[in-house]
Amino acid sequence: MTDAAGGRNGTRESRADGAESTDAPELRIPRGTLLRSRVVSDVATTLSRALDRGLTGYATLVPQETLLLEGDARGVLTFADGVPVLAYNTVSDSGGPDALAELAVPGPYRVELYAVDDEGLAAAHEEDALRVAPGTAATELADDPTLADRTREAAPDERLADPEADDADAVAAFLADDDRIDAIREQARAEAAERADEWGLDAALADDAGGDVGSESGGDVDPETDGGRGPEQ
Amino acid sequence: MVEAFAVASGKGGTGKTTSTLALGMALADEHDVTVVDADTGMANLLFHTGLDDATVTLHDLLVEGTATDVAEATYDRFGLSVVPCGTSLAGFEAAEPGRLRDVVAELASDTDVLLLDSPAALGSKSAVLPVVLADRVVVVVEPTIPALSDGLKVQEYARSYGTETAGVLFNKVRDDAADVAEQAERHFGGSVLARVPDSDVVRDARRAGEPLLAHAPESDAAARYRRAAARLDVRDGDGGAVADRFRSAVVPDTP
Repeated sequence: MTDAAGGRNGTRESRADGAESTDAPELRIPRGTLLRSRVVSDVATTLSRALDRGLTGYATLVPQETLLLEGDARGVLTFADGVPVLAYNTVSDSGGPDALAELAVPGPYRVELYAVDDEGLAAAHEEDALRVAPGTAATELADDPTLADRTREAAPDERLADPEADDADAVAAFLADDDRIDAIREQARAEAAERADEWGLDAALADDAGGDVGSESGGDVDPETDGGRGPEQ
Repeated sequence: MVEAFAVASGKGGTGKTTSTLALGMALADEHDVTVVDADTGMANLLFHTGLDDATVTLHDLLVEGTATDVAEATYDRFGLSVVPCGTSLAGFEAAEPGRLRDVVAELASDTDVLLLDSPAALGSKSAVLPVVLADRVVVVVEPTIPALSDGLKVQEYARSYGTETAGVLFNKVRDDAADVAEQAERHFGGSVLARVPDSDVVRDARRAGEPLLAHAPESDAAARYRRAAARLDVRDGDGGAVADRFRSAVVPDTP
């Protein structure tokens, strides 16, 4: 099976070194040990697991929603002692809140969780441009305010006071993405028209609402379906 | 009858019921207001209005063959007419959502403003029905990506059914998210009704089983809801025509 973050058998998991800009942030982290590989309907499952076991390592997140993002979001979220530190999209090379915003789509996600020793992530975790506020992943990816509170409680004081990482930054990045907003609207319109037909509500549709119908994204995937890979090594 | 509003959000936890009751109480200064818990699968209104023990609810009105009168499920509370929904699974399973149209039509003939506290979803016929039946929708969102995404979706569903957006209500707004609410206004268009801060007073009101405007009428959040209600600019309508519209609305026949 291909590594979800795009790396293959090497010691580097993901990178941004193909970016044209010289000051593009890079994420270089060791591959680590695969702990878990799953399709989850809710990222809270993964974040909660990482928090509860105080994981130092990272998760790769591949949203299965392809309509909005044209299949081009593959995320890496690193953890220090269970608390998210960095976010990175290996396809768009976005980092930090921008990456979280790109990854914040309805599930399911294919998720792999890796453990890395503390030293392996120390250098990567100094990259301010990729940093996210401790509770943001729980709020924006998992839509779980209780988990966000729990994560903030577990975060060291200096992380909570970090001026570079604001909870609202990911939301701001989302709202600045007009194409994404248009895609959500377009998908909702198509879905409304399709379901009106299914539910026998066609006659209640507004006159100008039925014409602009795109295709539906496909069926649901069962939550928590085991990806078929157990722990490795 | 003047106008029917669906208070909707597309996801749970945004404070829809709190908002429905707060807008209702504020509008009750000038209008006869009826608030209906249209979320037949996840009733909540009764807990906010001290009606936990209500013996007759909307569920009873939605069961075929019962002779329950709408008046029996309508309770006068806090200056409002409140139609709560029951919480039992049996009640939900026996209910026929399609009958909501008739209930709404009957209520509409005897009130000025109808507020439908809508289900936190769009995935079933019964969940979209309030948005289909209403004249306008109030979209309640939190400043998070999941809530904003779902709010945009609700607005688009409403538009598909010819239901205009009365405005957007930003709820649970923290200090650091004030700019975000401003940025979001651009996408939702129309009027931003209020930015209500995240506050303990709202949680206290819920715990006390009272609407916010009864529990803490002098609070900042209450003041913002009053301004939001004023911005709704309730329209004078032809009562008979509105009731007829509900009666003739196309509605689903099964959940």
